[in-house]
Amino acid sequence: MKHPSIVFESVNLQYSSVAFKERSLKALLSHVLQGKRKQADVQDVHALKNISLTIKEGERVGLLGHNGAGKSTFLKTAAGLYPISSGNVQVEGQVRSLFDLSLGFEPDATGRENILYRGLLLGLSPAFMREKEAEIVEFAGLGEFIDYPMKTYSAGMQVRLAFSISTTVGGDILLLDEVIGAGDANFMEKAKRRITDLVEQADILVLASHDFVSLKRLCERGLVLHRGELVFDGEMSEAIFEYRRINNIG
Amino acid sequence: MIELMRKMLNFYRNKMFRYFSGIWRSRYFWMHLALSDLRSRWRRSFLGALWSIIQPLGMTALLAIVFSKMFNTDITTYAPYVLSGIIVWEFIAASVTGGSLSFVQADAYIKQCRHPLAIYTLRTVLGSSAVLFMASLALYGWVIIVMPENIGWTWLASLTIFPMVLVIAWPMATLLAYIGVRFRDIPHAAGLALQALWFVSPVYFEAKMFRSGGMDFLVDYNPVYHILQLIRAPLLQGEWPTWENYMYSILLALAFSLIAWLMGRKSEAKVIFYL
Repeated sequence: MKHPSIVFESVNLQYSSVAFKERSLKALLSHVLQGKRKQADVQDVHALKNISLTIKEGERVGLLGHNGAGKSTFLKTAAGLYPISSGNVQVEGQVRSLFDLSLGFEPDATGRENILYRGLLLGLSPAFMREKEAEIVEFAGLGEFIDYPMKTYSAGMQVRLAFSISTTVGGDILLLDEVIGAGDANFMEKAKRRITDLVEQADILVLASHDFVSLKRLCERGLVLHRGELVFDGEMSEAIFEYRRINNIG
Repeated sequence: MIELMRKMLNFYRNKMFRYFSGIWRSRYFWMHLALSDLRSRWRRSFLGALWSIIQPLGMTALLAIVFSKMFNTDITTYAPYVLSGIIVWEFIAASVTGGSLSFVQADAYIKQCRHPLAIYTLRTVLGSSAVLFMASLALYGWVIIVMPENIGWTWLASLTIFPMVLVIAWPMATLLAYIGVRFRDIPHAAGLALQALWFVSPVYFEAKMFRSGGMDFLVDYNPVYHILQLIRAPLLQGEWPTWENYMYSILLALAFSLIAWLMGRKSEAKVIFYL
């Protein structure tokens, strides 16, 4: 029996400033010639501050926060992409993530070919992907467009395909970053059913979004992030209320 | 003390094992990347993959005519010498410049999925190895026609150049990629360094030219010479490569691996911040 879980123990994450300062000969020379005055003071960004939480099997969690509050950083840390500065992150289970839609799709290849390519990116075998292909095509519901090059797809169609792949290939933890909003109402209904199914198989969903409606429909637990800190952890409608209060909306 | 060292050794061996099993697990992905690189390289051109054979051949014809007149050498033996130089040098240059951009080029994948980063340099090096292999067919063909007396068992040794350059170029590309992701000047600087290396290596110039100028050290201590000998000795002279040729190649591979590993240990996790 699998028991997927995500555990954060006082996690801190800092983006070191050298990573985005300009490092070229030109910058070095102008630095020497002009002295320090003209340089804007770029400091390390403290993107996650002392975050502790536990997400257990079968939970559907929504992440709220304004731009730059740390939602994406949180998801990418959970996915194991970002190295943390201190604390402890433990993730049990296979992670499937959907962060940026256009990433990893080849625009010149058809939707069907991209199903295979994305599967390979996720570390799956060609045989396995061929087996799942029909199911993915069916769920995405793109009709004959599945054999058209990806560059002809609209944002919504890309979401449908990406979501369909990520949820069909199996995995224990699904991380979604603001992508779900691009689907139409019809697809949202299908997506919701799919997510409910996943959660019944004791999978975990973590969704970052600004769309209160889909958050309320899909998640029961809400986390509010504010400037890298976890300021609220509880029931979704209360989380939305708290988020509005902090950011002075309505 | 010995107990401690054994523990450390075990620790690193486990780490390395896990790293390589990560590479093995993502094999379908990097094989796909390498193949799709080749497909896009050869797509939409009438001759396709044949270009990898024709291009070095044409270059050889030009160079051999000019150089054999300049240096007064026999064109039939000098041309395959130049050809072997061109194809191996092309491989080295492609691995250096392509390798230093491997992580930058793969940023979309690195930001999405956690795979060992060495798969992205492996992809680059595999691509250039495939091109080297195609191009070497021209060399084999040429030598079979012009110097059939060299054909023999030693030719088996010429095949060892392919795995050998792979294990040298892969860690080299990896360590360049780590530097290249922080300093985007690397491809330019590497271009300059390559040119300098080319001048002091027996790539187009014959080894005896260096020797007659009293610069034996540029041949004897030059890893480029030893790598080239792996294919030159059997094909051009009908001889086995010497154990020194293999020694230098293996030492180079080990040195690059060690440096790449030391760098990766510190900076692999942070690469994503620089993309």
